[in-house]
Amino acid sequence: MSPQLRHISFTLNGNSVTAEVAPHHTLVEMLQEQFHLYGARESCGQGLCGCCTVIVNGRSVSGCLYLAAFADQANIVTVEGLAKGEQLDPVQEAFVSCSGFQCGFCTSGFILMVNQLLEKNANPTEDEIRHYLSGNLCRCATYPDIISAVHAAATTLRKE
Amino acid sequence: MIPFDLQEPASLAEAIALLDPDDPSVRPVAGGTALMLMMKAGLFQPTRLISLRRLEGDLRRVHVDEHGDLHLGALVPLSKLELSPLVAEHAPAVSETCRTLSNVRVRNVATLGGHVAHGDPHMDLPPLLIALGARARAVGPRGERWIDAADLFVGYYQTALERDELLAEIVIPAPSPDSSAAYVKFTALSADDWPAVGVAAAVRRREGVILDAVLAVSAATEKPIRLAAAEAAIRGKSTSSGSFDEAAEAAAHEVEPLADIRGSTAYKREMVRVHVRRALIKASHS
Ligand SMILES: Cc1cc2nc3c(=O)[nH]c(=O)nc-3n(C[C@H](O)[C@H](O)[C@H](O)COP(=O)(O)OP(=O)(O)OC[C@H]3O[C@@H](n4cnc5c(N)ncnc54)[C@H](O)[C@@H]3O)c2cc1C
Ligand code: FES
Ligand code: FES
Repeated sequence: MSPQLRHISFTLNGNSVTAEVAPHHTLVEMLQEQFHLYGARESCGQGLCGCCTVIVNGRSVSGCLYLAAFADQANIVTVEGLAKGEQLDPVQEAFVSCSGFQCGFCTSGFILMVNQLLEKNANPTEDEIRHYLSGNLCRCATYPDIISAVHAAATTLRKE
Repeated sequence: MIPFDLQEPASLAEAIALLDPDDPSVRPVAGGTALMLMMKAGLFQPTRLISLRRLEGDLRRVHVDEHGDLHLGALVPLSKLELSPLVAEHAPAVSETCRTLSNVRVRNVATLGGHVAHGDPHMDLPPLLIALGARARAVGPRGERWIDAADLFVGYYQTALERDELLAEIVIPAPSPDSSAAYVKFTALSADDWPAVGVAAAVRRREGVILDAVLAVSAATEKPIRLAAAEAAIRGKSTSSGSFDEAAEAAAHEVEPLADIRGSTAYKREMVRVHVRRALIKASHS
């Protein structure tokens, strides 16, 4: 069966865009192949690790388990949409200043999830951070530094 | 994933008309989390999926009716169940179960309908829905019908839903003032792994005596089931934890756990014993 392409339109990091997707394409595939955005990348492919995190209509999803066709009419934000020009967002800044990464493969997912957490909870405890991020895995095991980065970002955001 | 067709009807009636009672390769898709896992693993190769994402109305609602029954629409995401004040008030065990069900991203996308209709015995909510006496409303070309949660799960990845029926909502009856419920699970591989054993208990008690209890187990068994012998063993007994041992023993005898990477039959039997006891303690002290 030849995949029937469909035309979808949505907002991507603040811009109105269109794409041609087949029903069996995932959100990660579409972002990489059609928009050359590689911040969301597939690792486990099963919803477990968070490397493929994308924000759809204000909520985090695993882009590896999300059909690209479901992006139609949605508001999509990827890690590439966080910085304003050269200026990193406070969570990105905090990951840099606390060295919340080693190889960096998991980092874009963590940064998006931490942004979501801090939107809901401006001053999370360590337990709350661990619980919220339990679906994000870091093979380099930089967890202690990630938790420091969350506290640091929370402090900055509370001052803003 | 291999190519397939995707249809996106705008109403429940349209969606039902697009289902095919004779073709197992045609299925509805809600959040897609469970289906995509199967499709990626090559365990399911659809020819056509019918997306429910454009459907609106009661399918997306959480509300309490005039009898105090809690209605949960099939398209309500698990994150909404987790965070809804109505669910916290009327079925606190459901909110609590959702808090440790998979991770935030899955809960944001996964729907209650998909969770229940998949018939996967490892899901967390089915045993709790059984214990709470929930009912499911199914809608199909011949109209609608109600199915008790206890009759919904008929086998390994099999439910009582027909191929041309859709789950519209789950209704949890108003709890009586002397009742309380709890769900406990055992995860074998990591703290937030799928459960190896899940046990739900709903008890009615008065002055330190259990009037009756509904107990259900999942994950260890081929489908979520009630534990009739354990229920009988606890009826009329005191809520002191000593009397829970007998029920736990009865449960361990009556289950037939399936061995898998999360444990052998004997090990899971032991875990059923431990968790029936814990579920009873938790339910009768909450
Ligand atoms: C990484 C990961 C970890 C998980 N861990 C857990 C866990 O620890 N505990 C747990 O309980 N669950 C766990 N899950 C499972 C999760 O709960 C289910 O995947 C989810 O609830 C399915 O909902 P969905 O809307 O995505 O279903 P879909 O994938 O869209 O559909 C699932 C099935 O239901 C059918 N269907 C969907 N909606 C309807 C409807 N309204 N009427 C009739 N049929 C319908 C579909 O045809 C399909 O067969 C996990 C999932 C993932 C991806
Ligand atoms: S690649 Fe999607 S969660 Fe791991
Ligand atoms: S920094 Fe390497 S995987 Fe997290």
